[in-house]
Amino acid sequence: MEDYLPIFVLLVLGILFASLSFVGSALLAPRKKPTSAKLAPYECGIIPDREPPQRFPVRFYLVAMIFIIFDIEIVFLYPFAVIYRQFLGAFGLVEVLVFAGVVLVSFVYLVSNGALSWGPARHLRPAQPERTSASTISRVGSGPGSGADRAA
Amino acid sequence: MLSHAYLIPLLPLAGFLVLALFGRRIGEPWAGWLGTATVAGSFVLSLVTYGALLGRTGSGREVTDVVYNWIPAIPHSGFQVSASLLVDPLSMTMVLFVTGISTLIHLYSIGYMDGDGDFPKFFLYLNLFVASMLVLVLGGNLLMTFVGWEGVGVCSYWLISFWFGRDSAASAGKKAFLYNRVADVGFLLAMFLVFERTGTLSYGSAGGGGFLGQAASLPPSTRTAVCLLLFLAAAGKSAQFPLFPWLADAMEGPTPVSALIHAATMVTAGVYLMCRIGPLLSLSHTAQLVVSIVGVGTAFVAASIGCAQQDIKKVLAYSTVSQLGYMFLAVGTGAYEAAIFLMVAHAFFKGLLFLGAGSVIHGLHDEQDLKRMGNLRRYMKLTFWTVSVGVVAIAGIPPLSGFFAKGDVLDNAFAGSLFPWKVMWAVGLATALLTAYYMTRLLVLAFLGDDRWKAVVDGGRAKKDPHESPWVMTVPLVVLAVLAVVGGALNLPGHLSFDPLRWLAPVFGPGAFEEHLSGSSQWVLGVVDALVALVGAGVAFRLWSRETERPALEPALLQRSWYLDEVTDATLGRPGQALARMAASFDTRVIDGAVTGVARLTRGAGSGLRRVQTGYVRQYALGITVGLVVLVGYVTFLAVAR
Amino acid sequence: MTALLAATPAHLTVKIAYLSILPMLALLGGALVILVWSSLLRRPLETVWITSLTVLAATAALVLSLMQYFDVIHHGAHVAIDGAIVSDGFSAFVAVLVSAAVVVAALVGDGWLQQETIRGPEFHVLVLVSASGAMVMGAANDLIVVFLGLEILSIALYVLAAFNARRRQSGEAALKYFVLGGFSSAVFLYGIALVYGSTGTTNLPQIASYLAQNYVLHNGMLLAGLALLLVGFGFKAAAVPFHLWTPDVYQGSPSPVTGFMAAVAKVGAFAALLRVFVSSFGLLRADWQPAVWVIAVASLLLGASVALVQRDIKRMLAYSSINHAGFILLGLQAGSTKGVEGSLYYLFAYSFLALGSFAVISVVGGPGDGRHGLDRYRGLARRQPWLAGALALFLVAQAGIPPTTGFWAKLEVLQAAAGAHSYALAVIAMLSAVIAGFFYLRVVVLMYSPAGATGDGAATGTIVDTVEPARAVGDEGEPVGVAPGGEAGSGAVALLEADTGESAEPLVIPGTTGIALALCAGATVVLGIYPAWLTDFAHQATLLFHP
Repeated sequence: MEDYLPIFVLLVLGILFASLSFVGSALLAPRKKPTSAKLAPYECGIIPDREPPQRFPVRFYLVAMIFIIFDIEIVFLYPFAVIYRQFLGAFGLVEVLVFAGVVLVSFVYLVSNGALSWGPARHLRPAQPERTSASTISRVGSGPGSGADRAA
Repeated sequence: MLSHAYLIPLLPLAGFLVLALFGRRIGEPWAGWLGTATVAGSFVLSLVTYGALLGRTGSGREVTDVVYNWIPAIPHSGFQVSASLLVDPLSMTMVLFVTGISTLIHLYSIGYMDGDGDFPKFFLYLNLFVASMLVLVLGGNLLMTFVGWEGVGVCSYWLISFWFGRDSAASAGKKAFLYNRVADVGFLLAMFLVFERTGTLSYGSAGGGGFLGQAASLPPSTRTAVCLLLFLAAAGKSAQFPLFPWLADAMEGPTPVSALIHAATMVTAGVYLMCRIGPLLSLSHTAQLVVSIVGVGTAFVAASIGCAQQDIKKVLAYSTVSQLGYMFLAVGTGAYEAAIFLMVAHAFFKGLLFLGAGSVIHGLHDEQDLKRMGNLRRYMKLTFWTVSVGVVAIAGIPPLSGFFAKGDVLDNAFAGSLFPWKVMWAVGLATALLTAYYMTRLLVLAFLGDDRWKAVVDGGRAKKDPHESPWVMTVPLVVLAVLAVVGGALNLPGHLSFDPLRWLAPVFGPGAFEEHLSGSSQWVLGVVDALVALVGAGVAFRLWSRETERPALEPALLQRSWYLDEVTDATLGRPGQALARMAASFDTRVIDGAVTGVARLTRGAGSGLRRVQTGYVRQYALGITVGLVVLVGYVTFLAVAR
Repeated sequence: MTALLAATPAHLTVKIAYLSILPMLALLGGALVILVWSSLLRRPLETVWITSLTVLAATAALVLSLMQYFDVIHHGAHVAIDGAIVSDGFSAFVAVLVSAAVVVAALVGDGWLQQETIRGPEFHVLVLVSASGAMVMGAANDLIVVFLGLEILSIALYVLAAFNARRRQSGEAALKYFVLGGFSSAVFLYGIALVYGSTGTTNLPQIASYLAQNYVLHNGMLLAGLALLLVGFGFKAAAVPFHLWTPDVYQGSPSPVTGFMAAVAKVGAFAALLRVFVSSFGLLRADWQPAVWVIAVASLLLGASVALVQRDIKRMLAYSSINHAGFILLGLQAGSTKGVEGSLYYLFAYSFLALGSFAVISVVGGPGDGRHGLDRYRGLARRQPWLAGALALFLVAQAGIPPTTGFWAKLEVLQAAAGAHSYALAVIAMLSAVIAGFFYLRVVVLMYSPAGATGDGAATGTIVDTVEPARAVGDEGEPVGVAPGGEAGSGAVALLEADTGESAEPLVIPGTTGIALALCAGATVVLGIYPAWLTDFAHQATLLFHP
């Protein structure tokens, strides 16, 4: 059971951190209740007649996702670094280099596809000439993709 | 070369595949040449293999070549079959004459089928037939033989109804198919029985571990049952009483087919099968008796029918049935060598006669009625002379092959030790008389006399003059004529022999008559045979060279094949149809009801279940969860119940 | 933290035994090379190079797995990488099968990519990665490694299912597959946890020896874990009632992907299922056999009967694959080495039948890969004799008619079932084969009957009429709004026709698809006439089953 003690301690610490943050912000925040003008999106006096747009470009999510993937892959390097000198030796070094190499390959692929280039879309692949807006729209509307096709 | 025997059937099979894939594109006449070339190649390979086999002695001449393990061992039963080939003197003799005759007939067909719309298809079937026939004779176990057996059966069906636009051809094909299916039941049952009793299907002789080697240890009833069941199959394939009517109708097929399949090769498969199981057959006197009685009976009945037929091909068909009866007589008396000898000689002269008949039919523009021929000797000299050779050979006039072959069979019947053999010899001799008679009748009616075909007005216009056939058709005629003349040398009796066929002896053991007949009785019997043949021929010549209509000699009984079709119809056909109607009504009401009920149920279940497929992921997940819950519930129940 | 570290051994250097993982490495290496190469080039890499590289990598994997097989025969089975991977006849068999399937799938995919004018290395890379996952599942010696393989296999397949971005159903299929796949993976992982909780290990041989040495009195948790594992495997193998995703996903995915999915995903799932259940939980046979019995019967009957009423050939084959899953479960239910042998044989036979069938479908589906109604197959034999002949062969083989591998496959599993005295199951399986025979042969009859003969023909007739004007424009060479370059022009016409449905244009069989079809047909017929090689292989594979 002692093996689980550190986990338990970590759990307690986590809960403590979260609750302390709440308590701390409650203690430190200004006491005054905010007015409606204070809560408005813009404090400049212009009253918005509709909700602020909630749309982000797809690229934003893409980059966020790529970040998470690489972030998690990097996380593996920490335990490696901790026990490298002690247990793993040259074999471990080779293994981690292979790992890094694979990660690098995916990075190269992403870069070459323009996944990380912000700004207007840059097509490395030539656009398909036969795809016109007309054909695409008609495909979605009347092609075999329509719901009637999915009988059974 | 012996270990490459599988190439022999493979070559025609390759030809078949090429023709099946590209036949139409290859077209006429190259499809025919391709088919001929593959079969000829197969013939050359057989010659080489034959040579290799000659170089060996004793039991070294029996080589089992396991090509691969076809059906792997099935647990609990030990059923295992390898795709093995048995190369021994018997199978090589068969292979040699099958490939040889096939080559000639392929060549002939190039001329005969000239201009037919389905020219490539014809050679496609023909090649498949040759491949199947070779598998049949080379097969190292009953199942391999059965594969070939069915293969030749289906090719025969396709080729009989090759001109399926004609109603008669289509129904003749069906008839042949049905008769053969009835017979095949015997083959299947025999295989079941053999496997059940011995645990193997491979032939393997004395030391080979096959069922033939175990023949002596089987109970007599089993031996008899296996032999009779296989004889049922053989009687169907080789057209023996009462299963022979299909062969006469099979003449609806193109003439080369009649020559190759329904005279020279396929119909001898039954004789081959009986020879192959010779070691088993020799141990069952009952079976031997049945085989020889059926054989000689068929020989006589068919010969008598042959005397009254008008269609040139029907005469030859009944003659074939009759000769096959002789072969079974020989098998029944234990004279396998004589049977094989007659088979080979018969292939030569009957192939020759059919091809000659084909040449006549071709020359007369599809005229088959003997009564409408006559005096063709003036127009088709080569055909006349070669057919004459064939007639003399089959009639049994020395020194052509037929005399020796038939004499061999009759001598063996005479020398047989059991009582009925003498009766059979007498019947066989009578058949020989009839044979000489009807063959001479055919020759006289077709080639001598007046130009009766001139009087025939067909469809409002007179026939054109007959013409001699092209070289591709006459070359096989000449080759076969030469073989029919010298074929007798294959198995001359006594010390005159130079004897390539005697090498069959190790397969069967010594023939019967060597032990019982002295040299002088052989000479006496030979003279009797020759006299009988000459009498028959002479009578026919006197009777038919001037007169063409002799109703007294062509009674309805014989014209209609002893009413066998009618009897079959009355005894089996009508009751069968009545039974079928009863079964049909039972079928529609009860079985169909059940089947359609099941089908409707299945379909209903299907369309009901497909409603489950809504397309919504959440419902799919729900379905999976339900399954999961049931499964976990079940194991919990298990754990708690324990 | 220090306590955790202290528990680890002092020397972590493990023996790798590279031969046992080289087939997987070959596939992965191929994928990486293709990815790097195509990324570093300024111009997009020609598809022909990518396909060649993929085929090369798969062939290398095939050779390496055969080497592994012979190594196992001579030196015996062994574990590698600290017991995570096992190298035995079974894993070598799976590796051979998967690499051969990749060769075929890459060729079919190439034809399809050309037909759809899709460029880029992604398809082939994903196929390679996914196949390596299936290989890992076949060689896994630890439940965690099984899970790893399952996820490698699945994640790549999710993307592949969505590969045809132009078809809406493709995305729909991928999303369904992804959501339900994630669900089943979670269930599977929970099963691993429960098994670990009750046996204290996830290593397969150690589970077996634990169960052999200890009689678990209250084994509810263990059995529940086993049930969850069965659900996870059953999902991937498309067994009832975890099959619900199958028809939608098979129908929506691009046809070559469907073929690949039917072949390789089934192989991976069944390989791991067989190994886990027969070798690790063999002692609990009496507990899981009834459950497998029910699942098998349900798969057999539901697959066959619902396939009857389908009008879309891909959906029909989806249900048929459920039926086949039932047959493969026959071998598992027997729980014997003979059963494992039968299942392996069946997997081998079915893989090439599925790949071949879907290859034909991807060609007949035409540009856009959208026309899969059964009516489209009416009279196909007249228009495309080779294509129709190949499909007829694959369908007849799936119906189990000799002399094809399909016949021997059914025979093998039925023998196993009979050997295990599961006679009722064997009879039900045969009945379902009779039902299945109907819908397979119906398509064959359809293909060989004259086009537009009766009833349904009227519908296609009207659609053809609406196509005619479009075709006329194309034929006269009038500008149709695109560059005159032949390929692009015909593509535009094809797209227009894809919109309206039926077309009269001759189907084009891409060369690579032709090769793939020849390979599949060759395997089906040659191994059907000459079954001993494959039965021996499967037999050896099971003899060397236990490490």
